[in-house]
Amino acid sequence: MNNCDQFRELLEAYALGALDPEERAALEAHLATGCHDCARSVEEARWLVCQLAYTAPEATPSDMLKGRLMQTVRAEAQSHAEAKPQALPAKRYVPVWMWGLAAAMIVFMIVVTRNVRHLQDETREAEHLNAELMEGNHKLEKELAETKREAMIMMDPKSVKIMMPANGKQGAQLEAKWNAQLGVLVMGDKIPMPAPHHVLQLWLIPKDPKAKPMPSMMTWPDADGKFILLVSNPPDSMGNTKALAITEEPEGGSPGPTTTPIYVGGVS
Amino acid sequence: MPALQAKTQGARIIPGLHGLRICFFVSDVYYFKERKKPTLVMFLAAFTSRSPREVSPDATLLSRLLQKDVSAFEQLYDRHSRLVYGLVLRILQHASTSEEVVQDVFLQLWRNAAQYDESRGPFVPWLCTMARNRALDHLRLKSERQRRREDLPEELPSIAVAPEYEKALDDQRRAERVRALVAALNPQQKRAIELAYFEGLSHSEIAATLKEPLGTVKSWIRNGLLRLKEGLQATT
Ligand SMILES: [Zn+2]
Repeated sequence: MNNCDQFRELLEAYALGALDPEERAALEAHLATGCHDCARSVEEARWLVCQLAYTAPEATPSDMLKGRLMQTVRAEAQSHAEAKPQALPAKRYVPVWMWGLAAAMIVFMIVVTRNVRHLQDETREAEHLNAELMEGNHKLEKELAETKREAMIMMDPKSVKIMMPANGKQGAQLEAKWNAQLGVLVMGDKIPMPAPHHVLQLWLIPKDPKAKPMPSMMTWPDADGKFILLVSNPPDSMGNTKALAITEEPEGGSPGPTTTPIYVGGVS
Repeated sequence: MPALQAKTQGARIIPGLHGLRICFFVSDVYYFKERKKPTLVMFLAAFTSRSPREVSPDATLLSRLLQKDVSAFEQLYDRHSRLVYGLVLRILQHASTSEEVVQDVFLQLWRNAAQYDESRGPFVPWLCTMARNRALDHLRLKSERQRRREDLPEELPSIAVAPEYEKALDDQRRAERVRALVAALNPQQKRAIELAYFEGLSHSEIAATLKEPLGTVKSWIRNGLLRLKEGLQATT
């Protein structure tokens, strides 16, 4: 499923930080589905936005600023050096064994250049592998940060509990905790899986009767029916929100709900 | 070849051997020693790369920063403080607050140089993004007395991919080109982009400020940025 087109025209403004919360949430929800094309375009757009820094007229800060900075930096460098054990002998710029290795590699290279084409294939594979590794790393770090935040929302006494009973279906019910600083955490057990190629998407229903529901993040329950959804930056505040709702939407999410909510919980 | 760049940056550079592939090899050895990543394939990557980009002065200085090298820090400050201070001053319009922000930015660079690596994108945009974020935080804090953002862990800017045309110009010439291109935008596009970039306003805030329809503001901003992009691409 490909609904990138509707997000294309938001990417530059997103990189600039100019999107309003509703559009930002919709785009972030799309990026959270792991769309590589859009993620790459966002990063290129960020680079473009950075170039705007050059349009500010350059200005020279006072010598005092540099003086203060250098003083701090020198002091910290000194304590850093003292913290290191003096016993370590000064390292040679390049250890001898490395030159040995380097020489061996030159020989290796001569042999290898006869087979460059083959090597380039391997290179491509290697870069691919490397990129995958990096990505895996990144993901892990992100997951760790999310787990930490989830735990903090659970434990923080300031988090507000919102029950989200199912419409009709018996037994299954979701429970949300909303913390003004940390975000919204929605959890539940034995949650039925949405239809194939569909996700469960969270909506913030504004108090203002004229305002449309604000799209937020989406996910699936796991194989055991466990459901966890963390929204670090909800598109609106608790004060402006009447209720939280979850609907079933096509993969990739929707800018506005297309089905009747399955779970609804009033925000008091 | 960004993967390779990232490795060289953390390593020592042998004087006189710039450009020689052996240099990349040695840096790889260092890299693997430190990071314990699969090795052989990486050597091959280093050897078969056609035109490794020259190590930029910034990359060399940054690698020295990891060893707490004071003179490397001073050189980085001398190279970039005018740009960073100019940017922050344009946002905050107040000299002493701006100097505080610049001080924070450079101290963070000094203390956490390891946080920057080239996989986060080119250095100057990274530094400017950090400075802009800090300055806009100050601006919001002042105007709204809203401390919410401060409670959250600071997110480091990531510009992991620079577009292909980034290499076409060096920093100095790109700066001139950007200034010329933005000056040539239609005044309304320019004004809308400036309100977003320097004042951190959103589409609807800009529409309210300029008393123009939201859709018009959106297309001013998008078309202006696309024109800037086209102009930079055209220089390749
Ligand atoms: Zn997409």
